[in-house]
Amino acid sequence: MGEVIVITSGKGGVGKTTTTANLGTGLASLGKKVVLVDTDIGLRNLDVVMGLENRIVYDLLDVVEGRCRLKQALIKDKRLENLYLLPANQTRDKTAVSRQQMVDLMAQLREEYEFVLIDCPAGIEMGFKNAIAGAEKALVVTTPEVAAVRDADRIIGLLEAAEMEAPRLIINRLRPDMVRKGDMMDIEDMLEILAIDLIGVVPEDEYIVISTNRGEPAVLDKHSRAGQAYRNIARRLTGEEVPFLNWDAGNGIMARLRRLIGLG
Amino acid sequence: MLSSTGSDTGAGTRQGITFPAAREKPGADNHTFLVCRTVRSGQRFEYPGNVVVMGDVHPGGEIVASGHVIVMGTLRGVVHAGAEGDEKAVVMAFRLQPTQLRIAGYITRAPDNEAQDITGEPEIARVQDEAVVIEKYQPGGEKRWLNRTMFEEEEEQNG
Ligand SMILES: Nc1ncnc2c1ncn2[C@@H]1O[C@H](COP(=O)(O)OP(=O)(O)OP(=O)(O)O)[C@@H](O)[C@H]1O
Ligand SMILES: [Mg+2]
Repeated sequence: MGEVIVITSGKGGVGKTTTTANLGTGLASLGKKVVLVDTDIGLRNLDVVMGLENRIVYDLLDVVEGRCRLKQALIKDKRLENLYLLPANQTRDKTAVSRQQMVDLMAQLREEYEFVLIDCPAGIEMGFKNAIAGAEKALVVTTPEVAAVRDADRIIGLLEAAEMEAPRLIINRLRPDMVRKGDMMDIEDMLEILAIDLIGVVPEDEYIVISTNRGEPAVLDKHSRAGQAYRNIARRLTGEEVPFLNWDAGNGIMARLRRLIGLG
Repeated sequence: MLSSTGSDTGAGTRQGITFPAAREKPGADNHTFLVCRTVRSGQRFEYPGNVVVMGDVHPGGEIVASGHVIVMGTLRGVVHAGAEGDEKAVVMAFRLQPTQLRIAGYITRAPDNEAQDITGEPEIARVQDEAVVIEKYQPGGEKRWLNRTMFEEEEEQNG
């Protein structure tokens, strides 16, 4: 029985799809049997980021509506043996599936895969509700920006209300140089606001843009710093204890503010 | 019979495209539907006959026709010609760079490495020896294929 993990954020564009692609690829290169599920119906991206767009014949909707068998819709990754993608439909919208259909689908997938990673759409509406319906764990992605953290907080509340196992946080696009200068929130600040466990910090890395455009997840590149961070998170997901890299934390705006008002 | 799931995503009748009334006998006719617009990601046109697109088909856009598909522009999305099983259906485009091409039951896709030999010339795709082959479009050469379908269908119908 595999784990079903939804990757969500509330705010759009903070790195859910990037994270899903990299963690999936990272887990698969650790030898795990992994399936990635794109639930961003109507705005699918995961297939492009994985470089698998040209292989799509059937999608998630074809499966839940019975036009094909689950196996027929699963696309095998071109690099790794034990990695599969279930793409989203691009012509319809989030209302095309129901929560029960998602629950059933995930139950089916976890029979065969050790990790089922769900790429959640932005927002808190139907798409989000469907994406979390069949999941038992959640990873919340945020960037070090006040608005993204605010949305992450909202999402964590909704996940708790849905009785999801304690979600864990991924901080994406951190810029240690800016944190050092006090121009960006630091890790401690975000953890204090969000009050959940951290599973990893991914630095801003222009290699992500290159790899996304090429359809080759950065996690496969030895030289990418973001790739290294994703490799660590993948290992933590398997239960391994991996020490956190030192990000020179503790000097951000919030830390300074706190010090100023005498809380630090 | 005629469906455009694009109607709720911005394509289709709401934006002024009017479809001809559905007919009783799909596939066997040679009706042609003209799409005068850019077919964008998430838009899908399905038609029981031939489809001509006066514009481009973007990645994520889809054309499904029981007959031939001709794109008077760049085809980067997905096209399914002969969708009801007609292996004589062809796909033509000014620039044929599809994500994926399907003719009847055959599927072919773009090579993974970017090194696609983009000729910039009109090309035609058809099924030959159980595979989709793509070749330079020869003016006049298409008649052989387009007419043969009609001709053979008539022969079949006449016994
Ligand atoms: N660590 C990073 N360094 C640099 N760029 C990044 C990083 N993470 C993500 N990006 C870039 O941010 C953009 C948005 O990422 P992505 O598509 O993964 O976000 P998303 O949360 O899935 O968006 P949406 O809400 O639209 O689904 C992409 O252009 C991606 O390349
Ligand atoms: Mg996304």
